[in-house]
Amino acid sequence: MIGRARHLHDDRLFSCYVAEQSGEHVDSPAAEHLEACAGCRARLSDLARFMDGLRTDAETESDAIFTPEELRAQQQHILRRIEHLGQPARVLSFPARLVRRHLTRVGARIAPRWAAAAAAAGLVIGVGVGILVNFNAPYRAEGPAPSVMAVARPSRAEAPIIAVSGPGTAADDDAFLSEIEAVLRGPHNQELLLFDALTPRESEILAGLR
Amino acid sequence: MSDSRTARNEPSLEAAIASDGARSRQTDVPAISDDTRLAVEIRGLVAAGDMALARDRFAGIVSAHQRRAVRIAYQYLRDAAEADEAVQDAFVKAFLHISSYREAWPFEVWFTRILINGCLDRHKARARRERWFVPSEEASGLDQARYAAVIAPDQNPEARLLARERRTRLAKAIGHLDGRQRLVFTLCHYGDRTPREVSAITGLNESTVRVHLFRAARKLRGLLGGTS
Repeated sequence: MIGRARHLHDDRLFSCYVAEQSGEHVDSPAAEHLEACAGCRARLSDLARFMDGLRTDAETESDAIFTPEELRAQQQHILRRIEHLGQPARVLSFPARLVRRHLTRVGARIAPRWAAAAAAAGLVIGVGVGILVNFNAPYRAEGPAPSVMAVARPSRAEAPIIAVSGPGTAADDDAFLSEIEAVLRGPHNQELLLFDALTPRESEILAGLR
Repeated sequence: MSDSRTARNEPSLEAAIASDGARSRQTDVPAISDDTRLAVEIRGLVAAGDMALARDRFAGIVSAHQRRAVRIAYQYLRDAAEADEAVQDAFVKAFLHISSYREAWPFEVWFTRILINGCLDRHKARARRERWFVPSEEASGLDQARYAAVIAPDQNPEARLLARERRTRLAKAIGHLDGRQRLVFTLCHYGDRTPREVSAITGLNESTVRVHLFRAARKLRGLLGGTS
């Protein structure tokens, strides 16, 4: 809308800016209004400043990222790619030919045969390992394993640790905890007493549960 | 931006390419520019099989349009590595399809159309990736580091910080534009194309281009507070 009392609408003002930028002529009613109206001229120059600022920022940013060296490298890369456009890609024919020959000679039965052999081998190994594990399990629980642990530990710890390795009962737990208390009471473990004081006792927990 | 939204907002450039012949007959053809003449010459050389000379001539076209192309691609994609690849692909594609170039439009318009097609594809692919994976900040961080190293080595930290915040705000504001507004704004404002040329590049009506451009500028002014 143009008039003495009214100002140019934003879209008309923007058209004037675009026309100036594109080298087109501004439509004459708008041009006349701009000549007469200082307010609209100020708005137009504000708009132009804003738009020019956007352009300058963007150009500065992209020109800083794409330096002349970068552009030169990019150009060389483009020309190299263009140079290779007409050339056929190199194909290494050896594996393809070998595979094709084998496939035509033996046929597609190879894969199922190998798959069946692998599955049978896996089954045999699995059953064998299962039998071995079941055979050794009771022996390990009752025989050498506790003695190895007992040797590794101090003699005082021998009995409770063997007990822990078996099925857990309340008596075993008590024995284990009393063993820990005995260790804590030792001469070289005074520094652990503070931690021990923070740890709840089993009897306290049981009392809490009851 | 989701894929469906992208598909809704982005103009169909393929349709524009298809209708290019009809469009050029309807509108008055601009005077033939130097790069258009050069492109026609390259087309002739390729047709004659003189590829070495065609490549040599094409180097001139690359150096003439490269800077503007990276500006457009970078402002559209906001990722230096992707912009670099998009520009390279566009030039290679232009050479590959030079035989289909018609001088009805300046070479730059034809080339920008190829470039924008590539950018739109990359934008869609990125949107698809971002739906499945967490987007990485690494690329933009690298761009910022490169920018800081080149543009502001002697500025004080406060000025650098302010400049970075301003760039971030601008990038976010442009990210708020819808697909067509962003495309039109990038081409007109960063690519220095007139609304008529943008109309030829995108296949949109010229008055539609002007409306998108106005709305984009108004939205940016609103988001950025009127001053840049």
